Amino acid sequence: MREQILELERKALEELKDLTNKADTDAFKIKYLSKQGLITNLSRGMRDVPSEERPVVGELINKVKREIESRLALLETKYEEEALNEKLRSEKVDITEPSKGTAQGEIHPLHKIFTKLMDACVEMGFTVVTGPEVELDYYNFEALNVPKDHPARDMQDTFFLGGDLLMRTQTSSVQIRAMENMKPPLKIVSPGRTYRVDSDATHSPVFHQFEGLVIDENISMVDLKSMLTQLLKMLFGDDTKIRFRPSYFPFTEPSVEVDATCPMCKGAGCTRCKGTGLIELLGAGMVNPKVLENCGIDSNKYSGFAFGPGVDRLAMVAYKVPSIKNMFENDMKFLSQQNGEIR
Amino acid sequence: MKVTYNWLKEFVDIKVSPEELADKLTNVGMEVEEIVYQNKHLHDVHVGKILEIKHHPNADKLDVCQVDVGFRKVQIITSAKNIKEGDLVPVALDGADLVNGVKIKQSTLRGELSQGMFCSGEEIGITEDYYTGAGVNGILILREDYALGEKIEDALGLDDVVFDINITPNRPDCMSVIGIAREVSAILKTSIKDIDNYYEVDKADDINKYLSLEVEDKDLCPRYMATVVKDIVIRESPLWLKKRLNAVGIKTINNMVDITNYVLIEQGQPMHAFDYSFIGGKKIVVKRGNGERLKVLNGNEYTLKTNFLTISNAEKPMVIAGVIGGVNSSVTKDTKISVLEAASFARASVRTTSRAIGVRTDSSARFEKGVDLGSVKNGMETALALVYKLKAGTIVSGVLDVKEYEPKEERKEFSLSKIEKILGIKVKESDAVEILNNLGIKTSISGDTLSCVIPTFRTDIERDADIAEEIIRMYGYDVYDKIDIPVLSGSSFTKGAYDPLLKKQDELKNVLCDNGYFETLNYSFCSADASEKLLFRPEHRQYTMIRLQNPISEDMCCLRTSMAYGMLSTIDYNIKHGNKDLKFFEVGRIYIPKALLLTEQPHEINMLSIGSFCQGEDFFTLKGVVEKLLGKFDVKYRLEYSSLPFMHPGISADVIDEECGVILASFGEVHPKALSNFDIDGKVLYAELNIDELMKHAERKIEFKPISKYPYIERDLALVVDESVTAERLLGCIKKSAGEYYVSSRVFDIYRNPALGENKKSVAVRFTLSSQEKTLTDEEINAVMNKMIKDCEYKLGAKLR
Repeated sequence: MREQILELERKALEELKDLTNKADTDAFKIKYLSKQGLITNLSRGMRDVPSEERPVVGELINKVKREIESRLALLETKYEEEALNEKLRSEKVDITEPSKGTAQGEIHPLHKIFTKLMDACVEMGFTVVTGPEVELDYYNFEALNVPKDHPARDMQDTFFLGGDLLMRTQTSSVQIRAMENMKPPLKIVSPGRTYRVDSDATHSPVFHQFEGLVIDENISMVDLKSMLTQLLKMLFGDDTKIRFRPSYFPFTEPSVEVDATCPMCKGAGCTRCKGTGLIELLGAGMVNPKVLENCGIDSNKYSGFAFGPGVDRLAMVAYKVPSIKNMFENDMKFLSQQNGEIR
Repeated sequence: MKVTYNWLKEFVDIKVSPEELADKLTNVGMEVEEIVYQNKHLHDVHVGKILEIKHHPNADKLDVCQVDVGFRKVQIITSAKNIKEGDLVPVALDGADLVNGVKIKQSTLRGELSQGMFCSGEEIGITEDYYTGAGVNGILILREDYALGEKIEDALGLDDVVFDINITPNRPDCMSVIGIAREVSAILKTSIKDIDNYYEVDKADDINKYLSLEVEDKDLCPRYMATVVKDIVIRESPLWLKKRLNAVGIKTINNMVDITNYVLIEQGQPMHAFDYSFIGGKKIVVKRGNGERLKVLNGNEYTLKTNFLTISNAEKPMVIAGVIGGVNSSVTKDTKISVLEAASFARASVRTTSRAIGVRTDSSARFEKGVDLGSVKNGMETALALVYKLKAGTIVSGVLDVKEYEPKEERKEFSLSKIEKILGIKVKESDAVEILNNLGIKTSISGDTLSCVIPTFRTDIERDADIAEEIIRMYGYDVYDKIDIPVLSGSSFTKGAYDPLLKKQDELKNVLCDNGYFETLNYSFCSADASEKLLFRPEHRQYTMIRLQNPISEDMCCLRTSMAYGMLSTIDYNIKHGNKDLKFFEVGRIYIPKALLLTEQPHEINMLSIGSFCQGEDFFTLKGVVEKLLGKFDVKYRLEYSSLPFMHPGISADVIDEECGVILASFGEVHPKALSNFDIDGKVLYAELNIDELMKHAERKIEFKPISKYPYIERDLALVVDESVTAERLLGCIKKSAGEYYVSSRVFDIYRNPALGENKKSVAVRFTLSSQEKTLTDEEINAVMNKMIKDCEYKLGAKLR
């Protein structure tokens, strides 16, 4: 019996070595370990073993069985894994095939810039306010130190609606409404639509401004410069520098035009900036004390700055939009470029 | 404003190049928009003398000319017929450039060498008024005895540099050569040259023999000066004068007219030269119009309203003051005696008048911005000096001068520390004083106080801020280039806040982007037929649009009352451009007038519109999107078929606020008639949300219930009902029947088949039941289901399928 067992073990271990796949291991398992298997049959042969030897023989059979089972288990794991890997390999897909489900839409480039500006300004303590687009002459002009029949009115060709009503030419009208309702210190920004009788290759009769206003006790042109530098760096990159040029707006004194490093050429000079390395971006200045007084603010105590970039222009520069026409045409070939190719 | 380099040099020594000067002017706020070198496009054209003209041996229409250009002799073939031997002409040599862009090359014409070309006036960029003969159709014959070989630009004085400067409205004093020269002198820190306006008068004669003057309205005409020039010889002005006027774009006419224009450009003082013979009654009266008609120099005739100021004679108006002269008043070639006018007119009056008749002249442009009261006298002096210098006539002794007051230079005080506070930088006392003095503002400092004498031409200087600007623009804004401080470090703390509406709009926009919609922008304007195209009728609130008084075009003459106009136009545009899968949205305002005659601001309503022209989209996909958007608000609503006229009556819904009955949103298919009005063929889905109304409903409140530890049982029920039974009613009935165990229910399939019966549909509903206290038994569940079936049968005529 003992020899028989050891012989079977030797034979089984020999056969185990030749097992190379899952089918073979399955067949081996049936041959040796199933109910009719050779090992199981050995146990049945116990009847013929004298009772005093049975514990020893039984132990030997169990030992052999455990040995074969454990070796088999190793192989089974190995071959199962191989089989699974094979299956997974066969299931491989082309991961570059298109995705399923709804395509993504996009926020208009103009509003992307508006959002960036608003987020940055709110973080700096500004309150976002809005105002009417159909405005009274008073808020759009008179309170901003542009009396009726003042030549400065020619700077902004206005759409008139009759009476004292007009399409606001600038978001600066919101300055006045804010100063009437809020007490200094105040920091506001106001995004919105503005209108001028102007339509050519670089002007749209409808455009957008982002008005900023700070009124406090210790505000100077240096504050204006650092504020604008920060905003323009955010939009055009950290290496953006800004430069002031003297200008004139009735509601600011001193008034400046603000130029920034051309983001296309980083200041080296290109066709976009006409070789100057700078692009003209916005008007700004220190709030004219007359405007403060018009709003009942003590101009001896308070001063402030204001700025008002055309956001269409900022978006065009930031995203290299070829023409102002693209901004209002709503051509899918334009809009869809925001998330990849023209569709 | 155009000025020339040489003209400026007459008043101030300029030792920098034109480019450098332009940069410096721009840096102080006098933006130079263009620099034009008169001779830039003229190259290698010389004065030549025609020595001999012979017929071309091989061509009937050509001549062979021998020409002496001083430094050599050349042969030129020409077809021109207005030349003769001995003529001086401009000769373009091999390699020459002409103003019209032509480049000259030596060539052989029918076997004869041609080493250049004779030029016309046009080819070297001059016109008849500048040089007699320049306008003829042929070669320009030079009159004077120029040196042979002299460059034509030097010979004809085409060597100046013209600056086109953008003058801001606060600096009307710079609408003149002298004004710009003052800026230049401040920039270059040199003084302005004194110009001696020398002239002699006929002391034996007296102006009062010729003329009397009356100013009726001194508010509109604070100063009026008149002088008389007799024995006038009207002729061409000398070349130096024509050269200047020509360079700045003024047409030269004759000596007297040219003198007035010269003064206008140089001194910024508009003038007028009357022909004395037109001054009926020997009297000039400055008075308001009285409904008379006046034919003016532009050929039109205008009615002179009572708010127009006129220069009249004893009988009738001659000139619309400050704007334009009448036809029978100005000097002509036959004028013998002239009256020269220099005056000041109220700027608002000139502006109103100029706007009213739609006439803008060099004169009105200056008056409406404000002409310095002091320049009236300067202008007259300059004009008389020119009359004398040009020997245009004899100046009669005496000046008629009516003035409201003599302009005085005002002394004002400013605070240097306040100026520094505005600028945020330290300003050296000596710098401040020097800058202001150079600008013609006589300044001294004592302690913190700047004591300044403001010249009459600087009416813009009133406060510390104005002086701050003068200092910083001359100081140079580049002082700020080196300053880098943290943002608003010295300001008070304020808490930032978003506008809640804009914030909410962003939320809605993100939902739409995630659903494949692209944001668009449309003008707020639309055409006058927009309401009709959208099928609105006069009784609709959105029918009446506000009209612009001065629209750019008929396409953009009204303010939109519906977002649909822009959306449908956008879809039409994209279809026409071959684009597919169109899914768009727009946020914007519509403008609803409160009354028909616009007397107050209209309602501006914030709207969100959605539109698609895309396969796979239908009413229900759009409904899904609209529900997601409405889910951002805490609002109870019901649906009704849409009342919007441009929507399909059976495939569209209004979302109605359960509480107040207001329409919060509308969505569905667009009416085919509206689509055809926009030239769209196919199916368009459109939705609009009234954000202002929706914003009245705060953020959706969220409140959780405990999850039952007992099982949630799901059951399906298929019921056959009439088509008229809506899904909403069926679910409502099921919910009611389920009673306390109800958790949720939804329609998961609707099946239509004639076999179900006429006008029938089978609606499959899946519902979930549960209890917080126990596991529901089959008996309990079946009881609920049976009750549902019975209730649905009783209330809705439903049959179990």
